[in-house]
Amino acid sequence: MASMMQPQIILLKEGTDTSQGKAQLLSNINAVTAVGDVVRTTLGPRGMDKLIHDDKGSVTISNDGATIMKLLDIVHPAAKILVDIAKSQDSEVGDGTTTVVLLAAEFLKEAKPFVEDGVHSQNLIRSYRTASTLAIEKVKELAVSIEGKSVEEKKGLLAKCAATTLSSKLIGGEKEFFATMVVDAVMAIGDDDRLSLIGIKKVPGGNMRDSFLVDGVAFKKTFSYAGFEQQPKKFLIPKILLLNIELELKSEKENAEIRLSDPSQYQSIVDAEWNIIYDKLDKCVESGAKVVLSRLAIGDLATQYFADRDIFCAGRVAEEDLNRVAAAAGGTVQTSVNNIIPEVLGTCEIFEEKQVGGERFNIFSGCPSGRTATIVLRGGADQFIEEAERSLHDAIMIVRRAVKNSTVVPGGGAIDMEVSKYLRQHSRTIAGKPQLFINSYAKALEVIPRQLCDNAGFDATDVLNKLRQKHAMQSGEGASYGVDINTGGIADSYANFVWEPAVVKINAINAATEAACLILSVDETVKNPKSQSAQGDAAAGAMGRGRGGGRGRGMRRR
Amino acid sequence: MALAFDEFGRPFIILREQDQKTRLRGIDAQKANIAAGKAVARILRSSLGPKGMDKMLQGPDGDVTITNDGATILEQMDVDNQIAKLMVELSRSQDYEIGDGTTGVVVMAGALLEQAERQLDRGIHPIRIAEGYEMASRVAVEHLERISQKFEFDVNNYEPLVQTCMTTLSSKIVNRCKRRLAEIAVKAVLAVADLERRDVNLDLIKVEGKVGGNLEDTELIYGILVDKDMSHPQMPKQIEDAHIAILTCPFEPPKPKTKHKVDIDTVQKFETLRKQEQQYFDEMVQKCKDVGATLVICQWGFDDEANHLLMHRNLPAVRWVGGVELELIAIATGGRIVPRFQELTPEKLGKAGMVREKSFGTTKERMLYIEHCANSKAVTIFIRGGNKMMIEETKRSIHDALCVARNLIRNKSIVYGGGAAEIACSLAVDAAADKYPGVEQYAIRAFAEALDSVPMALAENSGLQPIETLSAVKSQQLKENIPFYGIDCNDVGTNDMREQNVFETLIGKQQQILLATQVVKMILKIDDVISNSEY
Repeated sequence: MASMMQPQIILLKEGTDTSQGKAQLLSNINAVTAVGDVVRTTLGPRGMDKLIHDDKGSVTISNDGATIMKLLDIVHPAAKILVDIAKSQDSEVGDGTTTVVLLAAEFLKEAKPFVEDGVHSQNLIRSYRTASTLAIEKVKELAVSIEGKSVEEKKGLLAKCAATTLSSKLIGGEKEFFATMVVDAVMAIGDDDRLSLIGIKKVPGGNMRDSFLVDGVAFKKTFSYAGFEQQPKKFLIPKILLLNIELELKSEKENAEIRLSDPSQYQSIVDAEWNIIYDKLDKCVESGAKVVLSRLAIGDLATQYFADRDIFCAGRVAEEDLNRVAAAAGGTVQTSVNNIIPEVLGTCEIFEEKQVGGERFNIFSGCPSGRTATIVLRGGADQFIEEAERSLHDAIMIVRRAVKNSTVVPGGGAIDMEVSKYLRQHSRTIAGKPQLFINSYAKALEVIPRQLCDNAGFDATDVLNKLRQKHAMQSGEGASYGVDINTGGIADSYANFVWEPAVVKINAINAATEAACLILSVDETVKNPKSQSAQGDAAAGAMGRGRGGGRGRGMRRR
Repeated sequence: MALAFDEFGRPFIILREQDQKTRLRGIDAQKANIAAGKAVARILRSSLGPKGMDKMLQGPDGDVTITNDGATILEQMDVDNQIAKLMVELSRSQDYEIGDGTTGVVVMAGALLEQAERQLDRGIHPIRIAEGYEMASRVAVEHLERISQKFEFDVNNYEPLVQTCMTTLSSKIVNRCKRRLAEIAVKAVLAVADLERRDVNLDLIKVEGKVGGNLEDTELIYGILVDKDMSHPQMPKQIEDAHIAILTCPFEPPKPKTKHKVDIDTVQKFETLRKQEQQYFDEMVQKCKDVGATLVICQWGFDDEANHLLMHRNLPAVRWVGGVELELIAIATGGRIVPRFQELTPEKLGKAGMVREKSFGTTKERMLYIEHCANSKAVTIFIRGGNKMMIEETKRSIHDALCVARNLIRNKSIVYGGGAAEIACSLAVDAAADKYPGVEQYAIRAFAEALDSVPMALAENSGLQPIETLSAVKSQQLKENIPFYGIDCNDVGTNDMREQNVFETLIGKQQQILLATQVVKMILKIDDVISNSEY
């Protein structure tokens, strides 16, 4: 009644939508859980794929959490945070993107009853932060270092890590094959940080077993002019000249015009132009190079000129390929053909043009610096290769991570169970509310093994109980037990070589806790009215409904 | 359809334009996907084998294609459904890699999907099915390797190659002269093959067609055929021992690439310009004459004046020859492509024993044969046929045959066709299934059953009793432990594929099985389809 007498104070523009309080918080949690449910089924070796059409009609089939989240095109403000953590996990460690989304959703789900019961969210946040610090310490403690092993041994161990990542992907059937390939590729580039040195080329057709690794550079045959087929296609230890100029007969200056008053001079102009290009070509030949690559066009004249002198050339080579050739062969890209000194020429053991499926490929192998590798991927369908490329990207990231800080933890949910057990034990030593919160955090961690079971069609409760029993053993010998995806029971993940780099888990726990805390700390959303866009109605309606739902719930509780 | 609801059944708006998106998930999604894949396979099923039927496809512009080639049918069908598109790509991928067996691979994938559906109904997890299929495919591929036989052949003894190509051609419309076409294909491949490196560049084989004549008139030309005629009707029609100048510059005064302008203000200047132009023509022709060329092949045109001059100087010429053909001519004749008259030297001329112009039937169309070339590494297959569709289909069939011959050069192993290899694999897989513990066993058995579908379709298409025939052949294979028995599609009277000479390449067959398994795994693994509702 009182409010009716007072004049209404209008703070915000008309149409602005605000929602606040506990109801808003709960609504956010619900939204996040809904998003978590979408990616839930992709976890683990028995995870399924999603087929997503986008607005333009292009289609992606993927199992990669980050890719799915990106393509879902989420507009809900709270749910968007999940997209961001998936992306950050992807760029930071490259794998575990599904895990991080799932964990964040689960933390919030566990927090929901407490919020409903009126616990202040800051309390929850504080406990979650403590729990995550403890969890990370525990992960670090449990991690096993693979440092100090011989190169061969290390390679084998790294391949195990890569295989664990790949097992959940479409190419899981050939995981050993690809894991070795990935490890070789990563080892080839050594300590170099540039990921672009590992090229992945996709050639539709063939079988995935036909994929191969080139210890050098490979790229598709570029557009060629008449005369190309007369060039030799194989060289042993050729010199390679890399250019960034056009080798074509064309006007040297744009917008220039030549005025002739004496027709007899005509020939001299024509000759002058020809001489410019001949001069360039001569210099290329003089340099002693047998393979000439250019980022820009190499015209028909040049092609035939080179063919005449038994030189191979390729124009319009993509920049990244050219750079990789430069890195591998040890040459530098020239922007002029003047003063080509031997030092700027690269070399490699074998250059060859080869047929790969329906395409011809230029392959440089046995490069002196050895700092680059190319994976040529084969597969039955475009979608298939796309997904294979994403999977290999994950595997490459994982291996690189594992090379840098070489500690691994057992996968298959084993580490999650162990951390969960540790947190449960720890919580009992705390008096007061945090005991409950840390306990619920511990419970949330169990979502990983539970989901692994669910996706494989096992009885999750049953398996989880067995796992809890193993992990609770005083001797600690059960610490590395995880879900056995083949039999539906439990097995020692460490002994079965289901390994992941510790950093993946640490990062996942960190990011998921951060996200959960962020969402928990929001108690008001203010949404400005959309400016005349077609989506205005939909979005405003969404917020309206969201708020309505929140209010409705609030009233019922009272 | 909304993605999520809160406790009160109100949807959250999480995705952009959520109302317009549809979502299909779980078993429904798998069922829908399988149905789509099966639909595609069903279309192709009737095209399999020597008694398979053709499809007539009308393009958006009213152009008609009649074909029996799986990859072509699917390509032209313009499929919209995503899963169906995967099947199209599957067939295309077989086409790229092997070039043959494009129908078989789709039929195989369709059968695998059909079997998978049954396993799903039993409640087996889709990934377990896919894994079972993968195990089974490995068994099948190994078994194929075991039953395969090596074919010994060399340049002089190419009979085995011809036999294999004939198997491919027998399912096509051109099968009435399959022997001739197979021989042509094999000879062509052997001509361009690099037997040492086991590499065949099919780009060096040109396939030309012209409407008219008979299919039997199809011929292999050790040289190049150009769909052009001499630039002047009075030029000689036949040149023996030709020295060919291959030019990429036009017979006209050179033009600088930079923008230019010639100021002509007096009559004298015009006269000099005119004279100069004439001089250019004269010099060019003279240059060609000087180096000893007896034929000029030019990428560009030349105007009547140049044409007249060439005629006058008795230098036959061909104009407007495309870049690719020019290159092939250069390779075949051992000449070099010359970009400028100043660069002409006698060494750069190509040599051909015989260049002749040939006219066809009553039409005025003429073509230029360049034969007896210095280097016969480029050949042309010239197809004749009653109508355009026939020629197009023949071209596709020849392409398949060429690919088969190439694959045999790469890998000499063959397996027996007519479904014999599939039946043998089916038996092997079925036997191996019992060794696997776990749910996968069922999937492996399903795989064995799916393998039967290829011989079954063969029998069906040949008008035989499918089940009766298949079981008879199967028992025969098992009893005598010989993997050569297949379906007698041509009613020859024997099931022994060795006697019938029905062969297929080992890598082709292996590829079929692996590719089909791969795509089926991909389809089975999808449990969630999110799309705009208009799809």
